Amino acid sequence: METLSSLADGFAIALTWQNLLLALLGCFLGTMMGALPGLGPSNGVAILIPLAFTLGLGATPSLILLTSVYYGAMYGGRISSILLNIPGDEPAMMTCLDGYPMAKNGRAGEALALSGVASFVGAFLATWGLILLAPQLVKIALLFGPAEYFALFTLAFATLGGIASTNQAKTAFAAALGIGLATVGVDTQTGVPRFTFGEVHLYDGIDFLVAIVGLFALSEVFLFLEHRHGASDASGHKVSVGRMMPSLSLLKSCTPTMLRTSFLGFVAGVLPGAGASLGSFISYTMEKRLVDKDGTFGTGDPRGVAAPEAGNNAAAGGALVPMLALGVPGSGTTAVLLAVLLALNITPGPLLFTQQPDVVWGLIAALFIANFMLLAMNIPMIGLFTRVLLIPPRILMPIVAMVSFVGIYGISGSSFDLLVMIGFGVAGWVLRKLDVPLVPIILGTLLGNAMENNLRRAITIDNGNWWTLIDSPLSIGLWSLAVIGFVLPIVFGRILKARMKHMAKDEEGAVVD
Amino acid sequence: MAFTPSRLLLAAAFLGASALGVSAADFQPENPECIAPANPGGGWDFTCRQVGKSLQDLKLLDKTMQVVNLAGGGGGVAFAEVVNKRGDDNDLIVAASSATATRLAQGAYPGNTMDQVRWLASIGADYGVIAVAADSPVNTLPELLDQIKADPSSVSVAGGSAVGGWDHLKVLIAANAYGIGDVRSVKYIAFDGGGEAVTQLLAGSVQAFTGDISEAKGFVDSGDIKVIAVLAPDRLPGEFADFPTAKEQGVDAIGANWRGFYAPGNMSDDAYNAWVAKISELYASEEWKGVMAANGLAPLDLQGEEFQQFVAASVQQIQDISKEIGIIK
Amino acid sequence: MSDRIFGLVGLLLALGYAWAALTIEESFLSDAVGPKAFPLIIATVLGLASLAIIAKPDAAPHWPSFMRFLEVGTAIAVMILYAILLPELGFLIATALAATYLTWRLGSAPISSVVSGCATSAGIYAVFHLVLGLSLAKGPLGF
Repeated sequence: METLSSLADGFAIALTWQNLLLALLGCFLGTMMGALPGLGPSNGVAILIPLAFTLGLGATPSLILLTSVYYGAMYGGRISSILLNIPGDEPAMMTCLDGYPMAKNGRAGEALALSGVASFVGAFLATWGLILLAPQLVKIALLFGPAEYFALFTLAFATLGGIASTNQAKTAFAAALGIGLATVGVDTQTGVPRFTFGEVHLYDGIDFLVAIVGLFALSEVFLFLEHRHGASDASGHKVSVGRMMPSLSLLKSCTPTMLRTSFLGFVAGVLPGAGASLGSFISYTMEKRLVDKDGTFGTGDPRGVAAPEAGNNAAAGGALVPMLALGVPGSGTTAVLLAVLLALNITPGPLLFTQQPDVVWGLIAALFIANFMLLAMNIPMIGLFTRVLLIPPRILMPIVAMVSFVGIYGISGSSFDLLVMIGFGVAGWVLRKLDVPLVPIILGTLLGNAMENNLRRAITIDNGNWWTLIDSPLSIGLWSLAVIGFVLPIVFGRILKARMKHMAKDEEGAVVD
Repeated sequence: MAFTPSRLLLAAAFLGASALGVSAADFQPENPECIAPANPGGGWDFTCRQVGKSLQDLKLLDKTMQVVNLAGGGGGVAFAEVVNKRGDDNDLIVAASSATATRLAQGAYPGNTMDQVRWLASIGADYGVIAVAADSPVNTLPELLDQIKADPSSVSVAGGSAVGGWDHLKVLIAANAYGIGDVRSVKYIAFDGGGEAVTQLLAGSVQAFTGDISEAKGFVDSGDIKVIAVLAPDRLPGEFADFPTAKEQGVDAIGANWRGFYAPGNMSDDAYNAWVAKISELYASEEWKGVMAANGLAPLDLQGEEFQQFVAASVQQIQDISKEIGIIK
Repeated sequence: MSDRIFGLVGLLLALGYAWAALTIEESFLSDAVGPKAFPLIIATVLGLASLAIIAKPDAAPHWPSFMRFLEVGTAIAVMILYAILLPELGFLIATALAATYLTWRLGSAPISSVVSGCATSAGIYAVFHLVLGLSLAKGPLGF
């Protein structure tokens, strides 16, 4: 009850005309930045910090603006995933897998609406989770030492077989390639540069944004160039976008999926260092394990759209738990938000909830407001978004390419990064032709460093004893899950493969076979 | 670290800066620009944006300072760009911190040295702390260092910077000052940022934490950790006054993570003096005191020539200790 | 066959990666695992996966004709030129040129390509620089 009255106070703070306008502005800008490849939530928030300062906003209004951008970007990432097969930001990567096939089947409107609803459900439940459980959840984060984190990341990679191709070897290859790329740069545990070949640009490692934009967006452009046979077929083809609202029965059939994945995503978000990408990834693979009896995931199954979207938006909410309660950012975006909090003279930490309740509850109320606003804004705008599909590719693809370049250059200001991105684009084109899934590569570049560092931390802390990796009940549990997740698909792989042969061959160019 | 800003020195610096302010008032940058050598959101980016905004608010700049992000090589890409391509740009300043000095000292910016640029001024510092969990039997810095001396493998020290980075060096400076011969035996575990390192202290994975005071503050207030030493020359003012310094416990170690700016090496003297004057005036303003308090920055008031010498001394010190632990040869 | 070649390339990559890992210069200060161990594990996985691909290749994909290859190759070259010339020419000019080329090659008539290329460049400039305030490359003309 006390919680509810605090929440009411929070709404009293947040519900002013100025704050509502700021939330609207933030939601709109956030959605836009989320949808543009290259600009994700973390850069989006960082770019808008000066705006909050120039407007001379106080603590609560600034936070309302910036968290609206954060939630907005989490919503926006799905739009380009579904319409163009290019993830707008890294957590939206999994939404490509079923979202784009749905759009190709003429159900783009439905996919967008459904993913909007799923985003809402995930974010809504996560915000409640934040309110009710934040103090307790912090204790979960404290159960995770380096050994447990290493087991968690191993689990993520071991279950990769679940999402991707029929060819396990290619999935493993892609994951190893990604992790290998992550090891480029100065080694944080010893300070020596690795695989940099004396090139100072590589000392910071390869930015996964560069990798993701190159692999997905540029390779798409190359595929288009390759398939253009004369002007006729490139001058625009009528695309049906389908209905703009999902039917009630569809929503109903996706509800259990959304609830389950909201929970999973939220927990992944609470763990610092795991974040939204892992949240959407685990949500998708687990859901596929659970409900994909007919092998329809990856071919435009609505549940495959709902799962990652609910998961990544729930993770975005979950990531606020360690940030507020521990001052530890669980993701890139919360790291930026943390810096903002500090600049506003708010020290996140165990005492924030008791010392500055008006800020916390104002922020939480702002999350609810932003969330409803995004739902209200996103559903009617679907018609507008789907217009993108009506632009002929000969116009659209150059725009995609140029936006990709600008998204990267605007952030890092480095031509070198652009060249690396082109390299990734070429590699992505070849790998797609060879049916090598791209998702594991991104996952590898995202998590590879954390995986290695936690392994080395664990073993160094225990003075070189490798058994420390399976020294706690939690890590033993995670390892068992990882082993099961790895072995099961190999056993059932043959059965699945036989079934796949009966299905129509996928169209070339899908991100994942 | 060799800085003990005495009152007299501060006064002199302030007077000097004011005098410069008069002589250099005729220079106004046409298109003021600040390079943040990292992506938006990091500490350098914040330094640029915060200072740019305050300079404009105080009417020290009549135009908005444009912030340009030039990431790569831990600041090395920006440093090389300034040295090679923008060496005589009078409108440009670049955000820097102890991390810049550390990398310069360790030769992590290949082919670049600190005297290729002109060091402008500092805008504050964050002092280092060494902390342990609240329920730890250790209560003082000498107790912790004794434990390390007796059995280095029994104490894992967590910090937010890479090995050889500033958080690591701080604990080594303390160990060195306490007479631990082979500082390499100190077991340091690098985490991604101070927050993660503190969390692992709370989780019980590690026994001690080295970081900045701003990272530790929230957890001290909540009673989860105890600061056993702050690496400042004197006790800090205000709410930090309870923390004992390392010095008063007989360990003569000082470590400050400073923030400041450098400018291109061939910037004209007029422009250099004007920038120094602007930042000095900013530093002396009430508004900046508020910003410093909000960010947990402690005073570090060094401008122009003094700052140049300070950076030189700190580069030298880092070089010495890095050689000792074998990070550089 | 494609997969066999791919597996072979992967194997070479794994070997090269392992070799590069072995030549990492270790400092005196090392943790219990060291900077080489993890890359070597990854190199092993990479190598094993490559061997498996060689042993059990999938059906070959449809490779484009030589002219199509040339098309993609030229586009790559244009993009590389763009990346290099961007800081020299400034954002608006470089982007207009690159977008015009791509639009033309994707099947627009030359004049409409120029129009659409310039519009793309100006539109992106408006959104990224004027609305979002990102610093884009400044050319000799200041944009």
